[in-house]
Amino acid sequence: MEIETYLKRDHIRNIVAAGKRVDNRAFDEQRPLEITKGFVADKADGSALVRLGNTLVLAGVSMDIGEPYADSPTEGVLTTSAEFRPMASPTFETGPPDENSIELARVVDRGIRESKSIATEKLFIEEDLVWVVFVDIHILDHDGNLIDAAGIASIAALLDARLPKLEDGKIIRGEWEGKLPMTCVPVPCTFAKISDKVMLDPCLDEEYAMDARLTVTTTDTINAMQKGGRGSFTTEEIKYAVDTAFKKSKEIRKLLG
Amino acid sequence: MKMKNPEIELIKNGKRLDGRNLDELREIKMEVGVLKKAAGSAYVEWGKNKVLAAVYGPRSLYPAFLKDPTKAMLRCIYNLAPFSVDDRKKPGPDRRSVEISKVSTEALESVVMTERYPNSVIDVYTEILQADAGTRCTALTAASLALANAGIPMKDLVAACSAGKVSGEVVLDPMKEEDNYGDADLPLAIIPRRNEVVLLQLDGRLTREEFDRAYQLAFDGALKVYEMQKKTLQDAMKKSAVVGD
Amino acid sequence: MFRVKNNEFVIPGQLVGTDIRHDSNCFREGGNVYSSVQGLARIEDNTLKIIPSSGGYTPKEGDVVIGVVKDVLHGKWLVDIDASYPATMDGEEVTRNPQRVDLRDYFRVGDILSAKIFSVDEIHASKLGRPSKLEGGYIININPKRVPRVIGKNKSMVNMLREKTNSRIVVGQNGRVWINSANTAFVVSVVRKIEREAQTSGLTDRIEKLLNNA
Repeated sequence: MEIETYLKRDHIRNIVAAGKRVDNRAFDEQRPLEITKGFVADKADGSALVRLGNTLVLAGVSMDIGEPYADSPTEGVLTTSAEFRPMASPTFETGPPDENSIELARVVDRGIRESKSIATEKLFIEEDLVWVVFVDIHILDHDGNLIDAAGIASIAALLDARLPKLEDGKIIRGEWEGKLPMTCVPVPCTFAKISDKVMLDPCLDEEYAMDARLTVTTTDTINAMQKGGRGSFTTEEIKYAVDTAFKKSKEIRKLLG
Repeated sequence: MKMKNPEIELIKNGKRLDGRNLDELREIKMEVGVLKKAAGSAYVEWGKNKVLAAVYGPRSLYPAFLKDPTKAMLRCIYNLAPFSVDDRKKPGPDRRSVEISKVSTEALESVVMTERYPNSVIDVYTEILQADAGTRCTALTAASLALANAGIPMKDLVAACSAGKVSGEVVLDPMKEEDNYGDADLPLAIIPRRNEVVLLQLDGRLTREEFDRAYQLAFDGALKVYEMQKKTLQDAMKKSAVVGD
Repeated sequence: MFRVKNNEFVIPGQLVGTDIRHDSNCFREGGNVYSSVQGLARIEDNTLKIIPSSGGYTPKEGDVVIGVVKDVLHGKWLVDIDASYPATMDGEEVTRNPQRVDLRDYFRVGDILSAKIFSVDEIHASKLGRPSKLEGGYIININPKRVPRVIGKNKSMVNMLREKTNSRIVVGQNGRVWINSANTAFVVSVVRKIEREAQTSGLTDRIEKLLNNA
């Protein structure tokens, strides 16, 4: 177990039992959220820098052209990956993605893909040629709830994204024609469970003390869910999380423009 | 990467594509203390380059066989974000990044007082968020600021700058088009107090005279960068001495 | 000859004097003395001292630190004190017969304690003693260079904070601050404010006002 866990765990569990959070937030309150679209607009086709409390994530969208998947020959392709950069935390090491960064990338991807937020049928160019969308998540500073910060950064970057200019079947870098066609805005909401209390948007200290977490990504439907951690959730807690996710994602969607 | 494109006129009437004179630096902005978790950090915008640097340590070094009982290990890692370049770069270190990491580490080793921290490691991470030629100079400049911000004892700062050759002219601080279609790229880093060079590379073709001119341009450029680093650190310290809230 | 004024900000590699007395945050080359870190230059007793703006904790004999037990070994504990080097505490510090007892009855992995550094060897490893278990409470990490300001001259600042908020507070020289209070969030915010404004003047009065108004 990490040293920080010992330093934080008992106190956090005690105040949660007394109905409070370590930073005095309400149990369904998110930390301050700042979204800067187009943070790296010169090379990336779309980008967004997100600050959620002290967590900092940069997501970039890179467009390319390529072959479609065999089972969807007239649709564009989406690939999402995440890197927990070692600068973000004393616990992140250099090397290939570990299970945490792979899980995060797949959960964020699920929300985008299952909600059909990218109009992939509009990404068809000609036979055997479609647009390929790469979403790359760069975690820069870790103070908890990387999933929501990364998910919000990714959808913001997609909303920011432009289609590169295509000339004779080749991409002209540095020139763009039109925006990436988007249909809806999936927003993830992650909850931490500490003993019998459920709270939205855990900060890092709360993550040290938590038993389990639940992410719910919504549009007007639920598009992704992921439970993580060794603990368990009751049915009531899950229903509460889903209801709160629908409510809170509406507020977050307003900031995404 | 050197490419051929005779259609672009890189220099016209003594002015470059972005309006600069041959011996003019791009606009540079520097900031320190931008990350919360790292011991020290810095963010530098140099032309269109956007680079973040962070420092951890001195901290325990594993595996044990890497430990040096006489000094700390210094590890500087250079990394391009996938979206930082025109054609997406696959995540993970490529050969170019490994080489740049090596020469950057060696440049910093000349100033960091590693003998104060035997058996430990000082990690410096530089992330290129947006690239537009001269990234390794931007990264090294940012790394130096991050080390100072972290309170790591050093004999001096390291300041970097590059020069190039474009359309037959030697120029200071090439931007992307000039680097792609030019004939030479010369990155250089100095320890300003002693006026000594701790990083020097050349990629291209320069005559002896062209080299002297490019070297001088890059050296003087690095000295200007050093003045900016000094001011950035001083301003940050002064700011923290003013009542906040 | 001093080359900087008292209370001037300096950066690494900056010339601060020639043939002068200096502290360990400076280095000499020939007769010239340079700062090795960024910080505030002070001239006291004809000696140049640098108060670093930042930097980790370097263990020093006599310091009281807050640690977390990492491991229980045979006859001693391995303690994390958030420094670049390990710290240990011998079983003899709590019992006369450390070989005969189970040390975990005294301190187990994860326990938090305040202790004094009794010695630091040539590879910076510390030996701790006079431990005190800290139970309950919340620990935050502050910049170790700001610890003196949080403690205050003759402990004036931390005592004022303890009295006015009716809290138990232990400030470790290693930058860990243990807070046991009915209003932890408030005490944390005050400590953070002292940390942020450590180099300003009039801080004590501002903090006193803040505590009185709470």
